[in-house]
Amino acid sequence: MTFLEVRDLTVKFRVGSALVARLKGEPVPDLVAVDGLSFAVGRGESIGIVGESGCGKSTLAKAITGLEPPASGSIWLDGRELTQRRDRATRRRTQMVFQDPSSSLNPSLTVEKTLSELLRVHRLVPKDEIDDRCGQLMDLVDLPRALLSSRPRSLSGGQRQRVGIARALALEPEVLIADEAVAALDVSVQAPILNLLNQLRDELGLTVMFISHDLAVVRYVSDRVIVMYLGKAVEDRPAADLFDDPRHPYTKALMAAAPKFGVKKAPGESALKGEPPSALDLPSGCRFRPRCPIAQDICAEAEPDLTGPSKTPRAACHFAWEGPGNSG
Amino acid sequence: MSNRILEVSDLSVTLQRAGKPITPVEGVSLTVDRGEALGIAGESGCDKTLTLKSIIGLLPPGAVVGGDLRFALDRDEPVAYEPAEVHGHGISMISQEPMTALNPTMRVGDLIAEGPMVHAGLDRSAARERAVELMRMVGIPTPERRARMWPHQLSGGLRQRVMIATALSTEPKLILCDEPTTALDVSIQDQILGLLQDIRTRLDMSIIFVSHDLAVLGELCDRIAIMYAGQVVEAGPVDELFADPRHPYAEALMHSVPSFAETSEELEGIEGRPPDPGSFPEGCRFAPRCDYARDDCRIASFELVSIGPGRETACIHPELIGGRQR
Repeated sequence: MTFLEVRDLTVKFRVGSALVARLKGEPVPDLVAVDGLSFAVGRGESIGIVGESGCGKSTLAKAITGLEPPASGSIWLDGRELTQRRDRATRRRTQMVFQDPSSSLNPSLTVEKTLSELLRVHRLVPKDEIDDRCGQLMDLVDLPRALLSSRPRSLSGGQRQRVGIARALALEPEVLIADEAVAALDVSVQAPILNLLNQLRDELGLTVMFISHDLAVVRYVSDRVIVMYLGKAVEDRPAADLFDDPRHPYTKALMAAAPKFGVKKAPGESALKGEPPSALDLPSGCRFRPRCPIAQDICAEAEPDLTGPSKTPRAACHFAWEGPGNSG
Repeated sequence: MSNRILEVSDLSVTLQRAGKPITPVEGVSLTVDRGEALGIAGESGCDKTLTLKSIIGLLPPGAVVGGDLRFALDRDEPVAYEPAEVHGHGISMISQEPMTALNPTMRVGDLIAEGPMVHAGLDRSAARERAVELMRMVGIPTPERRARMWPHQLSGGLRQRVMIATALSTEPKLILCDEPTTALDVSIQDQILGLLQDIRTRLDMSIIFVSHDLAVLGELCDRIAIMYAGQVVEAGPVDELFADPRHPYAEALMHSVPSFAETSEELEGIEGRPPDPGSFPEGCRFAPRCDYARDDCRIASFELVSIGPGRETACIHPELIGGRQR
C-alpha cells in the first residue's frame, strides 16, 4: 500500500545573477538539484536515501517537508497531495531530524521549553497535560526527565540528537525524515541512536526516510534503499538485494569505495575516478557516463530509465539487468 | 641501522584551564617504524589530535610537554629533539579541514612552493616548478592551470590533495594525518586514502593516521593504537586487534560500528561519554563505562603491558574479554 508518493519531482535553484544573465542575453542558469524523481513508500516502511554530496538527497527531504518549493511534480501522502501551502495539521505529518543538533536546537531554550512550545502552538494536548507529555517524550527517546530543564549547551552530542528526535516526535508525525542524523556523532553514540530509530519505527508505526552518505548505516536501518546521483535515482532496491547484488555501476563503485569494517581491502581501487560533474553542466545521455567503467556508445545518446523486472527492483542503467549481477 | 623512526615515551601534555592545570594527555607511548602506518583511534574528546600536535610542537601557549620524544631525521637511531624543530623538517601534518588550513590569500602554487623555498633553498621559479611537479604527483589534473587558482576555487577533494602536496613539499620522513578524509565523500575519501598509501610505499614514508573511523584505519594502517581519555589503552597489529580486542574499550568501539555484511546483530554503542580532563576518574579511566569492571579496576594504576608479539593492553582483566567476536 502506497503511503508516501513522490511523482516526477523536480527542484531547481537559481544560481548566479539572473539580472546579469538577462543583460547579457543569456538564459538564466538553473541548478537542477532533484530531477524528475518518482518513488512510492509504504506505510511503516523504512527507506534509505544514499548518495554523495550534491546528489540532491537533502533537497528531496526539504521538498517533502515543504521547506523547499518544487519546480514541478507532486508529493502525495495517504492519497492526498501535499501542496506547497500546508496548514498546521498537514505540516505536522512530516517531520525532520537534522544533522547537527547543536545548530538546529535553539540554544536559549530549555529542552522543556523547546518541546512544550510545539505542543502548545499545535494544540496537541490540553494545557495542563503539556508537562506530562514532555516527560513521556523524554521517556520515548530514553532521556532522563531531569534533563528537561537543561539547555542544549550542557547536553552531549548524543543527548542533543535525542532531543532533536523528541522534538520531531512531539508533533506525532506519520513520516519521520532523518537527514544525516548521525553523521556528526561518534560511533559509540551513533549506534544507540540508530537502535532508537529502529525501535521508534516499530513502536509507533512511523514511516522513516533515512538520508545518509554512509552505506553501512543505511543498511542497518532501512528496508529499501534508493541510490541517488546528480538529482536522479540510479537504483531503487530492497536493502538486502542492493547490498548483495548491486546492479548499477555507480552503486557498485560506491560500495567498492566505502571502507568496510571487518573486510580487508586496499584503498584507491574503486572504479570511481574523478569527481561528479557539475549539476549545471550535465553530460549527454546517462549522467554517470563520464565516470562509468562500462559506458558504451548508447550511454551518450539515451538517458536510461529507472526500470526493472518489477516495481521496486529498479536501476537506471542500460546494462543493469543483463546477465547475472556480481557484488561490487 | 635501526628501523625505528619515531619513539614517544611517557608523553604528557599539561594545559592551563581557568587557572588550574589539567593533563589531557598522560603516559602515551608510541613507536613508528620506517614506512609504517600507525593508526590512532578513539572517540572525540580522547585527545587524539592533541597527542599528534604535541609531536611537532603545535600546542597552545602555556602547554607543558613531558616525557621523551625521539625522532630519526638524518641519523640511524632516533634521538631526542625539540618539537618545534621538526615541524617542516622531517615531519609534516595534514589536518581535517583543508579550507581552514590553507591560506586563503595565496594561490595554491605559491602555497606549495613555500616548502621548497624555505626547506631546500630553491629560488621562486624553481620552487614553482617543483610545486607543479608535486601537484602532478598527488594526482591534481592540469596542475599548471590549478597552481594559479585560489584555495576556494577548488573542490574539497582537490584541496585535500593540495594539503598533501604542501606536506610533501618539505620532503618529510613522517606525515601526521589528523582525520584527513572525514569531511570528504566516500569516493573521494577512497581516492585520498589510495594516494596516501601510494605515496607511502613510493617514498618509503611513515604515517600516523588519526581517525574515529575504524574501517578507514583498517584499510591504511599496519598497527593501531586505541586512545581513551588521553591514554593509549590498547595497541597492536591492525588485523589481530580487530579480530581479538584485548581492552573493553576497543571491543566496545568495534561493536558500535555498523557492518556492511550483516544486519541481524544489534549494535551496542557505549553508554556515557569520555571523561573531562579536569575530572578523570581514579584507577582505570574507562571503568565507569565498562561492562566488565571489577572493584580492583577502580584502584588500578595505569600501565600498558605486553600480552604477545606487538600486542599491548592497559586492561588488568583482559581475560574477561572475548567470546563476542563479530
